[in-house]
Amino acid sequence: MLDFIIKRFLQVILVVLLVLTAVFFLMRLSGDPVSLFLPMDASQEQIEEYREKNGYNRPIFVQYADYMVKAVKGNFGDSIRSNEDALKLVLERIPATAQLAFSALFLSLLISIPLGVLSAYKRNTFFDRVGVALTVVGQAVPSFWLGLLLIYFFAAQLQLLPSGGGGTPIHMILPTITLAAYSVARFTRFTRSTMLDILRKDYIRTAKASGAPTGRLIMRYALKNSLIPIITLVALDLGTLLGGAVITEVVFAWPGLGRLLMQSLLNRDFPIVLAGVFVIAIFYSLINFIADVLYAYVNPQIRVK
Amino acid sequence: MKKLVMFLFVIVSLVLITACTEGTSGGEGGSNDNSSSDSNNDNSNGDSGKDSIVIGFEADATTMLGSWDVNYINQAQIRNIFDSVIDRDPSTGELIPALAESWEHIDELTWRIKLREGVKYHNGKDFTAEDVKWNIDFILDEDNGSFYRSRWVNVEEVTVISPTEVEIKTSVPFPTLLNYVAGDLVIMEPEHVEEVGLDEAAKNPVGTGPYKFVEWSRDNYLKLEAYDEYWQGEPEIKNLEFRYIPEFSARLSAFLSGEIDLFKNIPVDALQELEQSDNSEIGEVASSRINYLALNALAEDSPIQDQKVRQAINYAVDVDELLNSILNGYGTKMTGPLSIINQDYTETEDYGYDPDKAVELLEEAGYNPEELELTLDTPSGRYPMDSHIAQGIAAQLQRIGIEVSVQINEWGSHLEKIQNRQMGDMFILGWGPAYEAQSTIENLFTKDAPYSSFYDPQIEEEIKAANQIFDPEPRLDAFAELQHKLVEQGAWVPLWQQADLYAVRSDLNFEPRVDEYFQVFDMSWK
Repeated sequence: MLDFIIKRFLQVILVVLLVLTAVFFLMRLSGDPVSLFLPMDASQEQIEEYREKNGYNRPIFVQYADYMVKAVKGNFGDSIRSNEDALKLVLERIPATAQLAFSALFLSLLISIPLGVLSAYKRNTFFDRVGVALTVVGQAVPSFWLGLLLIYFFAAQLQLLPSGGGGTPIHMILPTITLAAYSVARFTRFTRSTMLDILRKDYIRTAKASGAPTGRLIMRYALKNSLIPIITLVALDLGTLLGGAVITEVVFAWPGLGRLLMQSLLNRDFPIVLAGVFVIAIFYSLINFIADVLYAYVNPQIRVK
Repeated sequence: MKKLVMFLFVIVSLVLITACTEGTSGGEGGSNDNSSSDSNNDNSNGDSGKDSIVIGFEADATTMLGSWDVNYINQAQIRNIFDSVIDRDPSTGELIPALAESWEHIDELTWRIKLREGVKYHNGKDFTAEDVKWNIDFILDEDNGSFYRSRWVNVEEVTVISPTEVEIKTSVPFPTLLNYVAGDLVIMEPEHVEEVGLDEAAKNPVGTGPYKFVEWSRDNYLKLEAYDEYWQGEPEIKNLEFRYIPEFSARLSAFLSGEIDLFKNIPVDALQELEQSDNSEIGEVASSRINYLALNALAEDSPIQDQKVRQAINYAVDVDELLNSILNGYGTKMTGPLSIINQDYTETEDYGYDPDKAVELLEEAGYNPEELELTLDTPSGRYPMDSHIAQGIAAQLQRIGIEVSVQINEWGSHLEKIQNRQMGDMFILGWGPAYEAQSTIENLFTKDAPYSSFYDPQIEEEIKAANQIFDPEPRLDAFAELQHKLVEQGAWVPLWQQADLYAVRSDLNFEPRVDEYFQVFDMSWK
């Protein structure tokens, strides 16, 4: 088991380093930040001086090696724009993003599990068809469009909710719904198909034949057994929610990590982008790592494979 | 079992809901109470005695340090906290006194500025000439990393003559220095910066301006309150908040729902919705920012190097049509390289729209318009309708047979392509705010300037000579001459002075400024 954990953990480190490498080169290929930062009337001489001072005139591989050596030591450099420690700026934004991600996750579970179970139980009925159609729509609607639509109705027209910003529970309602929409659809479909699989199993049939009441059959035998794959999906989705709330955060002016990354990308503020990507990659890989280890613990076959 | 599951479910739900409330919100320490109370205030539009304003802004400031980041977003906000030494007239752009009462040049290398007495910082300290010296030295000190330093390198020394007089010596004649004093320099309280250090001062500014710093929540809001001892008197609006809403549609919704009272940069295609709203007005001002189509004579092997081809394009582009059909008339047409409010502006000849003349000139230059293929680069979303304008220009040139391929660039790469001389035949760029000739003409029509698109050895000599002239009148003449020559050369297709469009609550007294700042001290509720 320990071998497995160590091997998996080394993979996590490798993935994070690879992600950083890919993002580093992609960003540098887009150019350096000099033209965006210096005033437009700065002379060519001053531009060169700035490039030299910040090391942008060195060969890209030298810049890369220098960056990685520092990054491994936990030094992601200072934001080019604000001169503050990039990693600190990124970490400051995590709570806001986590808050949004967790509330969206909670909302989607609250809706999707009962909906998925009901859909499976009432398979091929009108209720099921409507449910399936809704999940298809839910997965297809772009989040920025849904977000703007919600803002238009609830903020601009009805004036019931704030259109954006952060701070109070009321500010969370619209972004949470927007972010949850996709997960609701995904979880509902998944719960439905997992439940369908299990409802077809022999032991369910036996339980049904032995006269177990429907509620007990679903809650105790079927749902309980379908929860494990659902939990895996939720764990994976949490990573996506934490990292992928970018569009929702921009639309709702939510002061989280996604918005910081977006702003920094536009500004070519490399240190912040790389620190942000690093944090997201760590989250994502660690969540996968924990899920794998738990699996291996529960099912020894996985370790052998 | 069922009951137990239900019970656990309810408990978990309650815990999660509690976890998602104020106490844990986004690490924006202490912001929650203010936000909620403000939301209440904001929705009280129309109440008499309203004393707060919320301005919607597309982006956060990067720092609260003065004279540090060359960035309109920063300037528009911090100029409510810091005063400048010299200000600009909101409608004409002329230099007017601020912390300085008056100024004069002693000789070609020396400027003397007389400062106002009795001005106090927000922390109670007195403002003196020493502070002006300290702030200029702050820009010049390489260690501070001010992005303005490049503009100030010709400043050699700042000397304090008396508590209210300061002298700036330059290494070369620097007749445009005062423009930089007005544009770049705002006064921070030196002792405060030295006491707390740069990092802390960047989050907690102390100036002499009409508003005191209260709270800054990154990517969320900046809150300021009126400084009652402001030297120009007490501000009428007591509380000021800049709220950051990056997405235009969300900004518009926030305005329509009464959450924000004012915002800038309405796309012309969205004006109708605002015009229909009862409690809003559109504010418009011709900005000192200019938009132009650069005819890139620096591109190698380009037909654009031929003066007749450039002139032909000037005849073939119908600026009036572009203005009316794409910008709904919002913009002020230009015929030369300077805007009408530029202090060195002179009237130049308008090419007008004459496609026949264009074809004739192309043929004279040895080109068959039907066989001519040109490229046109444009940013998207940087200037009003920029990529649409590019498409419009391409369509107009196609009318006389020229094939134009339009390339849309991300803003950073657009600038880099110009700097690295990788641009093709034509590109769209804006410039400004520009108030005097040198910063436009020297930077856009000389060989080595990063954003230049034109070079003529004779004209370059004349630009260098004009830059050295210190006396206003001969200087004005020299630049007037240059403007005529550049138009004759067809160096650009000048387009227009940009129109800045604002959504304004109708009970707000607000006049848009040519320098694009939001000086809330000058605003009031009706």
